[in-house]
Amino acid sequence: MDIFLQLIVNGLLLGGAYAIISIGLTLIFGVVRVVNFAHGELLMIGMYAVFLASQQLGWHPYVSAIPVALMLFVTGAVIQRFVIQPLLKADPHIQIFATVGVSTALLNLGLLIFGADVRQISPGFGAESFQLGELSIVSGQLVTFLMAIALVGGLHVFLQRTYVGRAFRAVSQHRYAASLMGVNVDRMYVYAFGLGAACVGLAAALLSTQYPVFPTVGSYFTLTAFVVVVLGGMGSLYGALIGALLIGLVDSLAGYYISPDLKEVVYFVIFILILVVRPTGLLGLGRGSE
Amino acid sequence: MKTFARKCLSLCAGFGMSLIAAGSVAAADLKVGALYPFSGGLALLGNESYRGLELAVEERNAAGGINGQKIALVKADAVDANQAVGEARRLTSVEGVSAIFGSYSSALAFAATQVTELAGVPYFELGAVSDSVTGRGYKYVFRSNPTAKNFAEGMVDAVTHVIAPALKVDPKSLKIAIIHEDSLYGTTISGFQKEKAARDGLNVVEILPYSAKTVDLSSLILRLKGAKADVVMQTSYQNDTILFFNQAKAAGFKPKALIGAGGGYSMADTATALGETLNGAFNVDFTQYETREEGAPGLKSFVALYTKRYGTAPRSGHSLTNYVGAKAFLDVLAAAGSTDKDKIRGAVMAYKKPVGSTASGWGFEFGEDGQNRQAKANLMQWQNGKLVTVFPKEVAVSEPVVGR
Amino acid sequence: MIPNLRHPRTYVSLLVLSLLVLVPLAFNSPFVYHLFVLICVYGALATAWNLVGGYAGQMSLGHAVFYGVGSYTAVLMTINFGVSPWIGMFVGAAVSAVLAVAISYPTLRLRGPFFALVTIAMLEVVKLLVVHQGNWTGGSAGLSVPLNIGLPWMIFREKLPYLLIAFGFLLATLWVAWYVRQSRLGFYLVAVREREDAAQAVGVNTTRVKIIAAVISAILTSMVGSFHAMYLTFIEPSAAFSLELSIQVAMFALIGGLGSVAGPLAGTVLVLPVAELARGWLSSLGSGTHGFIYGVILVVVVLTMPRGIVGQFGNRVRGLVDRLPRLGTITEPKVTSQLHHVARPPQGEPILKAEHLKKNFGGLKATDDVSLTLHSGEILGVIGPNGAGKTTVFNQLSGFIRPDSGSVTIAGDGGGWLSPASPNAFARAGVGRTFQIAQPFSGLSVLENIMLGAFMHTKSRAEAEQIAREVADLTDLSALLGTEAKSMTVGGLKRLEVARALATRPKVLLLDEVMAGLNPSDVEKAIAMVRRIRDSGVSVLLIEHLMQATMALSDRILVIHTGQVLTSGSPQEVVTNTEVIQAYLGKGYESAKPGAGGSERQDRATKTDAIRVQDGKGYQSAQSA
Repeated sequence: MDIFLQLIVNGLLLGGAYAIISIGLTLIFGVVRVVNFAHGELLMIGMYAVFLASQQLGWHPYVSAIPVALMLFVTGAVIQRFVIQPLLKADPHIQIFATVGVSTALLNLGLLIFGADVRQISPGFGAESFQLGELSIVSGQLVTFLMAIALVGGLHVFLQRTYVGRAFRAVSQHRYAASLMGVNVDRMYVYAFGLGAACVGLAAALLSTQYPVFPTVGSYFTLTAFVVVVLGGMGSLYGALIGALLIGLVDSLAGYYISPDLKEVVYFVIFILILVVRPTGLLGLGRGSE
Repeated sequence: MKTFARKCLSLCAGFGMSLIAAGSVAAADLKVGALYPFSGGLALLGNESYRGLELAVEERNAAGGINGQKIALVKADAVDANQAVGEARRLTSVEGVSAIFGSYSSALAFAATQVTELAGVPYFELGAVSDSVTGRGYKYVFRSNPTAKNFAEGMVDAVTHVIAPALKVDPKSLKIAIIHEDSLYGTTISGFQKEKAARDGLNVVEILPYSAKTVDLSSLILRLKGAKADVVMQTSYQNDTILFFNQAKAAGFKPKALIGAGGGYSMADTATALGETLNGAFNVDFTQYETREEGAPGLKSFVALYTKRYGTAPRSGHSLTNYVGAKAFLDVLAAAGSTDKDKIRGAVMAYKKPVGSTASGWGFEFGEDGQNRQAKANLMQWQNGKLVTVFPKEVAVSEPVVGR
Repeated sequence: MIPNLRHPRTYVSLLVLSLLVLVPLAFNSPFVYHLFVLICVYGALATAWNLVGGYAGQMSLGHAVFYGVGSYTAVLMTINFGVSPWIGMFVGAAVSAVLAVAISYPTLRLRGPFFALVTIAMLEVVKLLVVHQGNWTGGSAGLSVPLNIGLPWMIFREKLPYLLIAFGFLLATLWVAWYVRQSRLGFYLVAVREREDAAQAVGVNTTRVKIIAAVISAILTSMVGSFHAMYLTFIEPSAAFSLELSIQVAMFALIGGLGSVAGPLAGTVLVLPVAELARGWLSSLGSGTHGFIYGVILVVVVLTMPRGIVGQFGNRVRGLVDRLPRLGTITEPKVTSQLHHVARPPQGEPILKAEHLKKNFGGLKATDDVSLTLHSGEILGVIGPNGAGKTTVFNQLSGFIRPDSGSVTIAGDGGGWLSPASPNAFARAGVGRTFQIAQPFSGLSVLENIMLGAFMHTKSRAEAEQIAREVADLTDLSALLGTEAKSMTVGGLKRLEVARALATRPKVLLLDEVMAGLNPSDVEKAIAMVRRIRDSGVSVLLIEHLMQATMALSDRILVIHTGQVLTSGSPQEVVTNTEVIQAYLGKGYESAKPGAGGSERQDRATKTDAIRVQDGKGYQSAQSA
């Protein structure tokens, strides 16, 4: 029973990590309607930035969260403005390949600059664990989990209450109608992509306490993030959160009760079933088969 | 936008051109290929391995080359088997190399040797451990380093000869868990571990494969905890090693001994990333740097050479392994006095060095299959942030510490 | 079956293709051979991918699954049963075909990124299972092919036989791609890619078409995979079921030009050698350099020529090639007019019956017990205020919406009654329909658009073309046959809708607001056209807001209001029916004059409709939905 409880806790905490990565992806998809295959590489950039800030300036990863998020906002905005924007009217195939190209370029740029070395920050707080009764909990995982929930809540308020947020929702529902209402659609896309990337920056700072950084680190998370986002429903923030927690639980339980090397099979099968049976995901907006 | 794109393209083209020019070498040079994974997931150790080869070649060139000819290294980057085939073809036909050195990864070695064997170009493996690289009856494939079987048996022997005696228990009473990443490397070594452990009558309680790309090993750790494993043998790359140690610590899992099979356990970066946590972990691998000099003459000067050339201490033993192997094979090439493949094979078969005469402590004596019989893997332990050799005695610089 | 070898495009293509063998022969270096074997292999893979990714528009990023299955099946058969890969590759192809059906059937409705993601997931699952089932797949250690040299084992010491076999695979794949492209299947695939609804309306079984494309593509991919395994002599899961391979293959097709026959090969020829050589040149510059440049080039190519090489330069090249002389005399295939008329019941017999149709959307009763009968040779007009449920009835009559209860039956040729189950079955039973919002296949010419309809009754391209020309004559489109559908006017598009439906040689034609948005002279044309159609023996059911046109055309009129049949009868009876005026204007306006104010129940649209009924000229401002 203790083990089961610990598995659940581990799963939920891991789900927090998946959530924080998936939020940006689902935001970008929800507004811009582009599946960003370069998402993992944004994470990689963020984690290197956090690493450098820690190594050169001695900043704790949590301190560098804001500057790194800002930096990634700019990166995301640039990608949207110069790569995605010209292709908005093109076939989805083309957009996918544009992001695949960006992903390849960034990944190898990371390799070129930093080499293939695996680097880890030892931050103190965030890496150690504490006991809660019989359960052991890693402080950084807990922080990530709480931040994921806070981020979803914050974004929800942002989408409901602010002009830009409302504009995001308008654009995502009907690009053309929104432009008739005086929304600058292109600019909203740039903001949305930037914001999505900034979420990844935040994720990078939070995850740096637990995971080392290396050029291909993004690919470790991207496929899972796609699973999470599709499971929850592309474009749905709460969906991403719930999807992430579910996948975290599946990961933890399947890894224990089935076999560690088959846990991916389990959640990919769930992923396929969801797409086949309910392509809009758990909380999707009904655009799955489009 | 268009003009920008065009500029980019012309820039790239110009780049490429200058590289062709730079890549050409004087006609009198002896060209040899260096086939490693320089990009992709294996890039780190691929590069570390290459440095060993590069140092050996530079040293040899400084000393006059091979029979008066300078050696020119032609680099080839292969990330997967398909690329290895392509690059091996390029090296053997376009570049016309006399021999190919490689390759760190067994999958690459398999693919590349299929090409070189048919092309009749000798292939010198310096680092790939899969036994079947030299087990396929090829005439011109030679390997200097120990194999997966040596590793696996070294790890199991560590339990019977080092850990159990230190704990003063019967090795058969220890609960052993085998965990490994599920690609070629981990699967091969864990397979031999299983065999050897069964042969020695040891009690294996869990065998758990996992993907090296995983981001969570907590369930696996809970299973180890549940099985009350005393000794864990892990075959892993770097990222999963770090993940395992971090999460094991968080979960409060402390086996009596942890034994790694090189890979992530041997990397200096792993120690930097994990700090204190790694201390006490055992590791079976190619010879590392904290090894008794008497058993490995030339080790200190290699480290000095490496540090001077690259500005850091060696990141793992891979460079040393490749260096020692490459030196031996360069001797062979010199002794053959020709690039004829059969003369080279003859020279390989004739090449002998006693154990303890090289910088890694190995000797050289090649079997008919091209495998060096006198190479072995040592048992090491992380003590105070250093990977020190603890077994066998001839090369040990420190005593093993078990069950702190 | 065989391309016309006398045509300059054919012989130039073959000459260019032969370079793939001649160049390596000239260089005679194993690396050049290797490079060209790779070009042939990847060219064939990209061409096969294009059948699904380009023709059918289903962006598969997991195509390596078929490549891997082909590799593994052939190698396992060789190792375990000593079966030659020449046979093993067909076994692999069969397994891949089954797998293709299993994968594509449940995922058919997914589009764009969703389909891409699900194919990636499938690939990952198969790869992980192959790794896990190590006892018979060799697991992640992979499998080495026994080096039995000789033709039966597809293993050679020299490189030339490899090249010839690879070239053979490439030619075969290209031939299949060409054959599919110009066949009925090719037309159907384009139709399905662009507009699934419209494709169904001309009798295309979209499910079947997509699965056929997936199966053909899987078989070709799998066979190339079998060969490539023999060429590499070593296979392992991460290389055989590789996402990178899938992406690369798709990328070659994309850079070359999606949906064209030559595109994927062109993309491969351009990119692959550069990538292979760059790896050699650039690796000395530091790890990752070539990958970085590769990624940048990919982005730049996508940005500067999103339609690929063929899209960008295809027309120019074709123009140049077409200037070359044809060899021998031109022999155009002669086709006699074959617009054979379908047997129809005699004038006045019922031909389509709808009985007690009911359809609810949530709480809304969109159709509440509607029954109607269409007779042979008549024009039945259906009118009713906006939101009355006309289009819902219409969609049930053509099978696009299944009624909750009730039935739609169509008179069969043998005298019985048919009740088809899907839109395309309705089309094949003889119900042609148009769409309120015109749904042209914009990538195709007007002629090809109409041919799509004609293909329902013939497989022959020439015959379809002949039928299309005849239909074009009937619908005033003859002058526009060569233009692309996307550059047409509204009037032209509406007529194209009718023409495409007519080309299926329907017994019944359902017209949904074909006159909305037309200018007066176009309306005159359209009225004349509908009459001509009726006179050719087709029964017509029409929904129309243009009262003048409806009144003028219809033999009978059916009024639908709030999902129910209000009344039916001759145009005169209906116009004077007080209930109808009530329905349009609300109670108290039985003697309403145009322009009178309304009660709170009415909305603007019904008012204008009523006005149109009275003054008969409202069509000039008719709305376009």
